[in-house]
Amino acid sequence: MWQLVLFNQIITGVWLAMEYTPTAEAAFSSIQHIMRDVRFGWLIRFMHTTGASAFFVVIYLHMYRAIIYGSYKAPRELVWLIGMGIYILLLSEAFTGYVLPWGQMSYWGAEVITSFASAIPIIGKYIIVWLRGDFNVSGVTLHRFFSLHVTLLPLIILFFVFIHLVALHYVGSNNPEGIDLKNKKNKKSQPLDSIPFHPYYTLKDLTGAIVFIAIFSTILFFAPTMGGFFLEPDNFLPANSLQTPEHISPVWYMTPFYAILRAVPNKFLGLFVMSASIALLFVLPWLDRSPVRSIRYKGMYSKIAIVIFVISFIGLGYLGVQSVSPIRTFLAAVFTCGYFLFFLSMPFYSRFEKTRVLPERLIQ
Amino acid sequence: MKYYFLFLLLLFYINPLYAVDSDIALDKAPINIYDIQSIKRGAKIFATTCMACHTMIYLRYNKIAQASGVRYDKMPLHITQWPNGIKPPDLSLEADIHGPDWIYTYLHSFYLDPARPTGFNNLLVPNTAMMNMLVPFQGQQIIASDLNIMQKYSDAPLQWYDVLELQRKGSLTPKQFDDMVTDIVNFLTYAANPYQAFQWKLGYYVLGFLVILFILMYLLKRNYWQDIKKE
Repeated sequence: MWQLVLFNQIITGVWLAMEYTPTAEAAFSSIQHIMRDVRFGWLIRFMHTTGASAFFVVIYLHMYRAIIYGSYKAPRELVWLIGMGIYILLLSEAFTGYVLPWGQMSYWGAEVITSFASAIPIIGKYIIVWLRGDFNVSGVTLHRFFSLHVTLLPLIILFFVFIHLVALHYVGSNNPEGIDLKNKKNKKSQPLDSIPFHPYYTLKDLTGAIVFIAIFSTILFFAPTMGGFFLEPDNFLPANSLQTPEHISPVWYMTPFYAILRAVPNKFLGLFVMSASIALLFVLPWLDRSPVRSIRYKGMYSKIAIVIFVISFIGLGYLGVQSVSPIRTFLAAVFTCGYFLFFLSMPFYSRFEKTRVLPERLIQ
Repeated sequence: MKYYFLFLLLLFYINPLYAVDSDIALDKAPINIYDIQSIKRGAKIFATTCMACHTMIYLRYNKIAQASGVRYDKMPLHITQWPNGIKPPDLSLEADIHGPDWIYTYLHSFYLDPARPTGFNNLLVPNTAMMNMLVPFQGQQIIASDLNIMQKYSDAPLQWYDVLELQRKGSLTPKQFDDMVTDIVNFLTYAANPYQAFQWKLGYYVLGFLVILFILMYLLKRNYWQDIKKE
């Protein structure tokens, strides 16, 4: 699936860049030019915008699978770390891309997110100017974000995807049972419990890919704005630095972290907690001290913890798109605690809980 | 496949995120994007009524203007001085910003308010700067009931027609007026997404093709995987 979404973004991106103008004066109308005057321009643009959300759906499912089956655990720590690197790069890529249409939400999203830098003590006020290239978000910012979005970030992402695969092939794929299959071989040194990738997995993945493309096309053709979740209504208004939208929220894939940021009353502390929530994902391989990998063989506490984690993460994502109210801020704080509880108590419950005995082989 | 249907269900239950701060519920605009005659009627009303103040820069609207006899130098694009300094917004993307239902409700819910400089106020956008251009067609509406009291005793949000009452008839019957507003909304929806009718049509073909491809691919996969099950 990730191959599909990655190459969809690259191919449609190339064609969009042919007609897009990265200046503050012309960016918004050049998008309308793509939508109206370029033949099939609307299709290419919706493939790119829907593709961005689809990319994150795929990435989140991929990460969730790695978490429940323990694919981050030894010997695959490096695979996980590189994968997390890709995730951060993708967030930056999505953020720089969201600024390009130069609508109200693009502008104010950029304003809010770059202003995070100002919370850093002492050097913050220099970093923010360095990021924006101006004292406010302006055409200069737009132009440099365009450059990053189409050249530097995609190149680094492609390189990271390559080393992600290299690292994976060195240790081999994990499986839902979380056991090692590579050392169980017959006399001809063929793995006993594995089947050839072709034709079995090529056909199975192709079948899955068609279902995925069907879901993707349903959104693409019938609900490209996804009721405001993929393309926000405010972004159909051209950027206006004098008029702040009533509530500013990032696109859905960033909202869990945005909700964590808003749950903490202090700006600097909020930024710190938000960074910590991402940093904890990086050190996940060393937090988990369970002797088994997969959730299927872990004990009761791990199962409860994963349920708390999923509820907290989805809850935070929902609260991140909503406007602020006292009850929502309270809920966001609760979910933030749930999120951190999953990670911070992991070294204890994963170590002391009773796990089931691992089978030697897949088929007994 | 099961998940796909669940997903479809979810898709149609998602509430749009249009910002609604009004006390009035949105009425459903009965638009049909395939109805080209309605879009054309809407364009005609737009050119003769709305275009006195509003631009539509992303549609080739100077053609519409020429057809309806508006002079280029008199077009709203060239006006620099507006009353109270409020420039009427461009309407090319209005249907994307607020949604068709919002426009439909907005155009219906003007009422007489002598306190306003234009003489009219709006339920959906209180103290709107827009003039009520539709008064000759719709007639004059007044607030028939006290909004605050009614909201206190009503569970569901109120519709504009629960609150407003026709005081003086216009040139159209309420049914004809509804049709007229529908035409305008249909045209504005077209103006925001001119490709949409083609987009939906293409979508059915693409999904039909994918369904056939899925069936073939699934049968092929099942055929190959039969060997695995036996062992």
